[in-house]
Amino acid sequence: MKALLENVRPWRHDLGGCLHGCLATLLEHRGVPALPVLGAAWTFRHFPGGVRREEYYYPCADGESLLTALAPHHPVRSVWHEPADAATGWEQVRDAVAAGTPVAVAVDNYHLPFRPAYRDVHSNHLVVVHGYDEERGTVRVLDAVPPAFHGDITLAELTASRDSGNELVHERDMFFTGVHIDNRWLSLELDAAPGDFPALDRAEVARVLALNLAHFAAPPDGDACTGLAGQQAFLEGTVKRLTAGEDIRDELFVAAGAALACTAVHADWLALAGRTLDLPGLVEQARSVERVAHHWSAVRIMAALTRDGGLTPRRLAGRVHALLKDHESALTALDDERAEL
Amino acid sequence: MDRLPDRADRRQTEAVPVNLAEHADNTGITRADTLSAGAFNIWGNTFPADELPAGGPVVVDGVPFLFPEAAPGRPDNIRCAGQLIEVPTGRYDWIQLLTAAERRTEDQVLLHYADGSVDPEWLRVPDFWPETGSRVGGSPAFTCTRMHYPRHVERKMGPVIWRHRVPVPRESDLGALRLPDNPAVHVFAMTLLPGAPLEVAA
Repeated sequence: MKALLENVRPWRHDLGGCLHGCLATLLEHRGVPALPVLGAAWTFRHFPGGVRREEYYYPCADGESLLTALAPHHPVRSVWHEPADAATGWEQVRDAVAAGTPVAVAVDNYHLPFRPAYRDVHSNHLVVVHGYDEERGTVRVLDAVPPAFHGDITLAELTASRDSGNELVHERDMFFTGVHIDNRWLSLELDAAPGDFPALDRAEVARVLALNLAHFAAPPDGDACTGLAGQQAFLEGTVKRLTAGEDIRDELFVAAGAALACTAVHADWLALAGRTLDLPGLVEQARSVERVAHHWSAVRIMAALTRDGGLTPRRLAGRVHALLKDHESALTALDDERAEL
Repeated sequence: MDRLPDRADRRQTEAVPVNLAEHADNTGITRADTLSAGAFNIWGNTFPADELPAGGPVVVDGVPFLFPEAAPGRPDNIRCAGQLIEVPTGRYDWIQLLTAAERRTEDQVLLHYADGSVDPEWLRVPDFWPETGSRVGGSPAFTCTRMHYPRHVERKMGPVIWRHRVPVPRESDLGALRLPDNPAVHVFAMTLLPGAPLEVAA
């Protein structure tokens, strides 16, 4: 048996990662343009103890799907499939592809010959699978993260990467190691026909801006750090913990990566909406949000440097203060833009 | 158009490359036999020395720079942490940089003028990661074909050092600049470009 699904194209945002890339590819295969969906929501959510050591980490509430968390303003969901073993894991992926559905599979880069980490570093990554040839023993894989790869690898290689223990072996196995890959794979579900997704018009922009502004204005939800107040509490709390000598490196690095991707992709959504609807003020505020994303680039690297004493709490506090100030200013300006729509 | 060579010649003659060696605190360039002697980014990746200029004068897009000398373990770039860089006092239009970031980012540098005034200006830095465009302006100065990892050479992709610039709008002598406190930003070289004199009424 063999199958090869067409219309499976790479998608990448330079400040995003494998999660946005894979979900965008799966959405566009279903006829849903990715950026209007994946970039609409601008949120901050952090669930204490909830950060997972995955490149594709994104904060989710209990029972909430990854795609719902990322794109809460649209009728989309994702489902994690957790097969009992490697053989079942492959059967499920093969059957999905045979039925015409490309999927995303969790992998350990250590076992993938096209990744720089091959036989060097373990890391919990996500790629798209959209074909197979059982006679040749190959699978067609798409990975948009540089070095981008779109081609065949052996089923044995894919299986090794999916069934990996993702062991933490040496000091360079950072952030995304130490958790089993467990052959997990992700499917995408649409709760509306692609033609019924909202068009990117003024009403849609007003709707999305109102939802995002309401999110940031709302008080934190229970123990979760959500909205602007939750973001402030999380970031300032992290500075306090670092001051107290606590190891905050991995949690802040992974959480900042998710916030960076969300903010940067939303900036592109604002720019797309502004240009599409001839709203130069919105394009300008896209740049303000991009500025916030650039703060997160700095926070992410600052987080990574905290462990060896290479970064003082005072330096992190300075960045946090600037980020919060610029974030608040961007929200105020976006509220003005919303009022003009 | 026939004046362009003259302008280019003048740019090279009057440009002021700044020696950053005393400020360098990060080793971002390694040889293939000393892969783990540096760590440009948090993962320990480095630029391959044999695909970059040897230390000393180099011209990029008509701009002369002093490229850092790469030697095992020797710092060759500044990882920005708010360093104050004194420059030869003079009237400049542009600060040209050879720079790269760990993910695209931007921040303000503080320009210190000889008359005591200080202005913030934006420094925008593209990602060094392969297969990644600028998105913030700037031109690729050196595009490598290989990336160094601490334990292997990756031949499928190579990182980029970018040339970018910061304006010096105030028509006053510049004396120093303070880099941002943003460790995602690395600076390999800096050159100050004087502006053409204007006839300003007294």
